[in-house]
Parts: sequence; C-alpha cells; structure tokens
Amino acid sequence: MAKQRWAIPITFVFIIMGILLSLQFQAQNRISSELSMQRTENLIAMVRDLSEKRQKLAAEILDLNSKLRTQMQSDQDERKLFNSLNEELIKVQTVTGKTPLEGPGLNIYIDQTMPILYVDIIHIVNELWAAGAEAISINNFRVTQDTSVFYAENEHSMSITVDNNVLTYPISVKVIGDPNNLEKGLTIPGGIMDNLSLYKAYPVLSKVESLTIPASSNISEFYFLNEYKPPEKPVATTPTTQQS
Amino acid sequence: MTMWLLPILGLIIGVLVGSAVTFQIPLIYVKYMSIAVLASLDSVLGGIRSITESHFDGAVLLTGFFTNALLAALLAYLGDRLGVDLYYAAVFAFGVRLFHNLAAIRHQLLLQYRTKKNEQKR
Repeated sequence: MAKQRWAIPITFVFIIMGILLSLQFQAQNRISSELSMQRTENLIAMVRDLSEKRQKLAAEILDLNSKLRTQMQSDQDERKLFNSLNEELIKVQTVTGKTPLEGPGLNIYIDQTMPILYVDIIHIVNELWAAGAEAISINNFRVTQDTSVFYAENEHSMSITVDNNVLTYPISVKVIGDPNNLEKGLTIPGGIMDNLSLYKAYPVLSKVESLTIPASSNISEFYFLNEYKPPEKPVATTPTTQQS
Repeated sequence: MTMWLLPILGLIIGVLVGSAVTFQIPLIYVKYMSIAVLASLDSVLGGIRSITESHFDGAVLLTGFFTNALLAALLAYLGDRLGVDLYYAAVFAFGVRLFHNLAAIRHQLLLQYRTKKNEQKR
C-alpha cells in the first residue's frame, strides 16, 4: 500500500519534468545558434571577421572576373583561329579531293566500241585541265595530284587502269568547270577530238547542269616533305667576328 | 526496484511528448524557464528523498513542485524588472538544496543497503 501512495504523484511529476526538460533542451539549443542571444563582444568580433571575409571575397570576385574576361578573350581568339583553320582545311580538302564535289560541267562518255588507249585518257584529262577543269573523275575515281593512268593486261585483254583500278566500259569522265569552255577545249580543230576521230573513236560530250564527283579514296601520306625555308642571309656582323 | 518502473516510464513519456510537441518557448523566456526547471528538479529530488526517508506526502510534493517552479520564474522575472539579479539567488538557493537532497538520498540509500546486508548476515 505504501508504494501506491507515492507512485502516482511521483509519476505525474516526472512526466511534467520530462516535458520541461526536453523543452528546455530545445530552447537552449536554439539559443546557442541565435544571434540575438549572443554577447555583444562576440557579435562585434563576428561582424569584424565577416566583413574581413567579405572584403577578401570581393577581391577574389574581381580577380576571378578579370581572369574570366581574359579567358573569354582567348577563347574567342581561339574560336576565330579554329574557324579560319577549318575553312582552310575545307579549301584544302576540296583541292586535294578529300571531299565529294558538285557543280556544272561536262560528261564524256566512251563506249566499248571505241578504240581508246590509256594515253588518250591522259590526253583528255590534260586537255580538260588546260581548259579550266576544276575537278575530274574517271568512272568515279577522283583524279588528284597523285593519280596515275596506265594499262593492265592479261592473256585475253588489255584494260585501262586509274590508280591501279581497272576501268570497266562504258568509261565516263566527269569534269566540273565551265561546260562551254571545256567542250571548246576538247573540240577545237586539231584538238583531241579530231585526233581521236582519226582512229574512229567519237567520245560523246554532254554538258551537265550539275554533276557530282566523289571523294578520292586514296590516302596520301608524306614522310619526306618539308616546307622549304630560304636560308637567312648572314648578318652584317659576321665579318667582324671573323676578323677578330 | 520495480516500483520505480512507473516514474521512469513517466519521465520517458514526458521527454518524448516534449520533443514531439512543436511548441517553442520564446527565447526571452528561456532564462525563466531554466530557473523553473531547476526548481522543479529540486522538488522532484526532494520528493524522492522523502520517499527514501518514508515520510512522503503527495500534496506537499505537487504543491512544492508547481509553486517552487512558478515562484522561481516569477522571482527571476521580477529581479530583471527591478534591476536586481535575483536569478542568481534562485540558482544558488535551488542548487544548494538540490545537492543537499542528493546527498540525503545517497545517505539514505546507503543506510538501507547496509541494514539489508546486516539482516542477511544474520
């Protein structure tokens, strides 16, 4: 009986005690993080510290901004350089045959019945270059600076080759350039067409509004090429050094 | 010892309720709240002491608990209004009483433990 007499009030008091304690704990936790409850000296120190930090950070911002500006500047320059290099590359590729091309020009059609030798093909190509051709392909083999036209023969027949690729008939030579000029270049009296007609070969010329020329499949690599730089002229001081 | 289970359970429940409740004491009153907590802690220890000395009275405990806490808080508040730091007086008074109570409880428990041991020896 003695136990029951005190157990209930004590428990009640303990419950309230627990609530008070936990509330107080929370409040105390809040106080330690609340600025308005800090001491003045601490606050002053904090303000000084923070303003110092702020100044440092502002200086850093300035510094970083100027860095950013220079970086952007150099980035722009680099982009310009890159663009101009890219344009250059495209030009070079156009010339060296690394890209397919498209434009008006002439199509030369050569049938199997025409007695044509590889030399004739070379003559035609030479004549075309002379007449202002800008790009030439023979049966979809692009004619570039290292293209060779030759012949190959086996027991039965002889065939024309371009870069060691055997040409099959009909041979079609596609040229990009001014169609009229090209045609005139081939058909001038005493020209290649006249020459061929002596052998009863009559290639068919047709002007085309737009034709495409494929890219060269050859990969040319250069191992020995170096740009030539003229040697600098000896400086005027060299004779004096020789004298001494 | 099983008779202490209920109060301890009560304490745990109280703490849980207190941490679950979203009510927050305004920071200005935290100071008075702390003195009230100290006073109530002293009352509780006084109650435990009276139990160990077996002259417990529930009414005394309850009235003491609430009036002590309230008066302590009020006194501290009044001190602040008057410009006298009665807060420290309350802290001192309750602190001293708290340690007194603790010492008395310790003495009493030791005494009980020894008498028990002696009875067992016989």
